[in-house]
Amino acid sequence: MRVYLGWFYPELMSTYGDRGNIIALSYWAKILGIDLKIVKISLSQPKEIVVKMDLLFMGGAQDKQQEIVNQDLKNNKGEYLKKSIENGTFGLFVCGGYQFLGHYYKTADGTKIPGLSIFDIYTENPGSAFPRLIGDIGIKTRIARSEIVVGFENHGGRTYLVDKNLAFGKVVFGFGNNGLDKTEGIFYKNTIGTYLHGPILPKNPFLTRFFLEKVIEKKYKKKIKPKKFDEEWERKAREKVIKERLK
Amino acid sequence: MFYLSIIFSKIIIFFSRLFKFGSGSTWPGHLALYFNSKFVGKILQKNPHLKIFIITGTNGKTTTVALLKHFLQKNNISCFSNQEGANLLNGVASAIIKNSSFSGRINKQVALFEVDEFNLPLILKEVQPLGIIILNLFRDQLDRYGEVNTIFSRWFDALKNISPSVKIFLNGDDPQLYYLGQKISSPVFYFGLSEEEMPFKKIPHDVDFNYCPFCYQLLSYKKIAYSHLGKFFCQNCGFKPTGIFTLKENPVNFSLKGIYNLYNLTLVFLFLQKVFGLPKEKLKIQIKDFLPVFGRQEKIKYKNRDFYLLLSKNPAGFNQSIDAVLSLTENKKNVFWIILNNRVPDGHDISWIWDVDFKKIFLGAKKIFVSGDRVFDMVIRLKYEETALKKNIIGEENPKKTLKKIIEETKENEKIFILANYSAMLEVRKILVGKKLL
Repeated sequence: MRVYLGWFYPELMSTYGDRGNIIALSYWAKILGIDLKIVKISLSQPKEIVVKMDLLFMGGAQDKQQEIVNQDLKNNKGEYLKKSIENGTFGLFVCGGYQFLGHYYKTADGTKIPGLSIFDIYTENPGSAFPRLIGDIGIKTRIARSEIVVGFENHGGRTYLVDKNLAFGKVVFGFGNNGLDKTEGIFYKNTIGTYLHGPILPKNPFLTRFFLEKVIEKKYKKKIKPKKFDEEWERKAREKVIKERLK
Repeated sequence: MFYLSIIFSKIIIFFSRLFKFGSGSTWPGHLALYFNSKFVGKILQKNPHLKIFIITGTNGKTTTVALLKHFLQKNNISCFSNQEGANLLNGVASAIIKNSSFSGRINKQVALFEVDEFNLPLILKEVQPLGIIILNLFRDQLDRYGEVNTIFSRWFDALKNISPSVKIFLNGDDPQLYYLGQKISSPVFYFGLSEEEMPFKKIPHDVDFNYCPFCYQLLSYKKIAYSHLGKFFCQNCGFKPTGIFTLKENPVNFSLKGIYNLYNLTLVFLFLQKVFGLPKEKLKIQIKDFLPVFGRQEKIKYKNRDFYLLLSKNPAGFNQSIDAVLSLTENKKNVFWIILNNRVPDGHDISWIWDVDFKKIFLGAKKIFVSGDRVFDMVIRLKYEETALKKNIIGEENPKKTLKKIIEETKENEKIFILANYSAMLEVRKILVGKKLL
């Protein structure tokens, strides 16, 4: 069972430890008997490669790197990325990677940077008078109803969903999309956009397995047999944060 | 009021030492600034003879100040510095109070101020240095300091309006800092490593400035020292650095390992030559009895084991610590102890551990003990690297209990390498040495 994981701009969109998601997917792929091939999709890669991927990932970075990447998405790979997501390719897009896929990002000085309009969302940075939304975050998701997904958020932009029913999660503690409406991220077709660093997958292995299992289901039309997994440390890591925040 | 603040603050230092509240590295300054917010500028005005230098950057400030002090003292130039960690304005003020008479007279020739990278602009408002050293800029505590570009803009704004006589020393192997030097009008001196000293050909993961500062295309590298430091050039616009001072032959008797310390040493040689006229031949001889400062490859004996303490608080620093240990020992079966806290001085976010290349650590480890507030995250981090060593990762939140386990599971004279972030380093040092340092 071979799965191609397309990692967007690893040399630019890797400021916040989001590489951990790639490492977590590799680790669990091995346990689940999946041959995971990681394909780095950089500025120099041809755009056609995007639609050959089974799973897509992009992390967050700083404004400068995001400007460089935004150019390449707009002029080059964006249309292929849109095609992939609309066709139901699985994907995880974190922070800056998430914001790109909306209609626009309004910077602190009021400039509107158009996005790819794949997600029906828009993001606005209210300016330096408003603090960044920083801290531990816990959310409830449809993927694992009994678990609190734990991560860390650090964003200046506030994201608004046009249809709040598409939220990836409901905020239990922390800020989420905008600090106001308790929504976090978006779950559109098979792609998740989220503000959760931490990184999100290592501490929440049920999400990692969700991606891998669903990709296999879609690509090979078969189900991976449920097994018992050793994820004691991951659970303790989540519990530590939850306890700190909910005591 | 001015003299009163000195007297009050000196009394505070006295009592603080007497009752062991700590060494008084920030309190007295805090108090003096409370009485008189312009205290620092005022007392420095009274001491026009004092040559002030500022040292900043993400990693290596403390070691660099220690090296500079070592050489200046060897060459009979009297100097003082603020205490490590006390690198905000109150720390600078405290150092000044400690080294001044009741009338505000400072009997030293040189002041070396280690300054927190975020607060450089604030300090420059109060202090007029003759020279500023910028060692490097890496991501560090993103939830506290913000991104490297935020820090960079703060530095740029502060330096572009500075007196044109101030000498600026910059790491020329860092594309963004080289660019900084091109954009300011002060005299700039670049330091770096020679290609022969750079070990890598492939760009690692933990880079922040790997794009051209002029045209924003990805940079190419002939050789890499670590992170984004290396022999870079831009294929698109032709940007390529020139005029970087290198040491070429490294002194063999330098006690500190690791490429990052070669950078510190190269800068120190360049600085002492340009500012004090000290020739490098002389410095190469004088380096031999330099001892590591606390927590920076410091060796501590405990129950007949050798503990080496390496502060490791961000991806670039952590990767360099791992490399340093691997070059410190031929032994492939070392014992490591990683301690990860996320208290105020560490930053709360620990996502950065996923940008550290832990694969390397397994090349030189037989056992890895893990402790600290975020022990669980660090264990997962290690567990998720492919390795046969999995069973030998031992997690235990409490450092004291971990230490007990380590003693049980190691032999006398065995070496244990501790990689710890800031508060963890202070904590474990206190346990091993038995007293509080700061």
